[in-house]
Amino acid sequence: MIPLMQWIGSSALANAMNGPEWAFPLVQSIHFLGFAFLIGTIAMVDLRLLGFGLRQPAGELERDLSPWTYTGLAMMLTTGPAMFSADAVTYYVNPSFRLKMMCLAAALLFNFTVHRVIARSNGAAIAQKFAACVSLLLWSSVIAAGRFIAFV
Amino acid sequence: MLLSFCNWLQDTSVGTAIREGALLYPVIGGIHLLAIALFGGMILTTDVRLLGLGLRRESLVDLIDGLRVWKWIGGIIVAASGLLLAWCEPLKLYRSPNFWIKMILFALVGVHALVFRSVYAYPDRIEKSPARARLAGALSLLLWAGIVVTGRLIAFDS
Repeated sequence: MIPLMQWIGSSALANAMNGPEWAFPLVQSIHFLGFAFLIGTIAMVDLRLLGFGLRQPAGELERDLSPWTYTGLAMMLTTGPAMFSADAVTYYVNPSFRLKMMCLAAALLFNFTVHRVIARSNGAAIAQKFAACVSLLLWSSVIAAGRFIAFV
Repeated sequence: MLLSFCNWLQDTSVGTAIREGALLYPVIGGIHLLAIALFGGMILTTDVRLLGLGLRRESLVDLIDGLRVWKWIGGIIVAASGLLLAWCEPLKLYRSPNFWIKMILFALVGVHALVFRSVYAYPDRIEKSPARARLAGALSLLLWAGIVVTGRLIAFDS
């Protein structure tokens, strides 16, 4: 894997990210805005599943918010790999980065399968609350592990 | 005057503890980001709805009233954690252009809240002035995006 990471780290994308001084900060700022959209909209559905916040049925809310969830996701999935390329080998061996990627994979998988199905079907209250708690926990772990990348 | 206050603040035991503790700074930073993620999206969503770019099925009354308390909770967590982060490096912030731009944007958020108070206080009357609501949403989106961006850029100010 390391040769692959070295290749990514010397790609045109990596060179662009490491080029002008403002490139990395700018891309990272967009990454931060993206997670406000992505996780913020998911959290609103979670709050609804827990019985707080908006009055609209969770399924309807999930469906109506999903364009903005996808907008956030698209921002994350373009800015994230771009930042990764800037220092691929370092990220690859960073334990907090690895934890983040595992949490992210779990969070995405859960969000577009179990979470969506439970939100859209008027399932049992206990299932709704379970899905909301797991979702909040997974996305919180993604953020927390992400923050720690710079400190481990 | 402000500079000597920053000097004093930086050397308080709280400032020193956050700066020198291995875990404290990233943990508080994590809480700050987490609150932005969980609650910042609510502001963006309200703005998007004010702009008429989605969520048309949700009534604005429901959206603004239903999220009000959560935005307050989020705002308090973000402000408290942000204050602690600032506490440990006031001298750096004093010299950081992006920090001052961020503070100016915060002041403008306050002005925005005063100018567009009626939009948020009486969302049931928005239908009467949709252009005003759109303006409120657009400006809010720009201000908050600017706050996130300048906030992130502080770390890159030397």
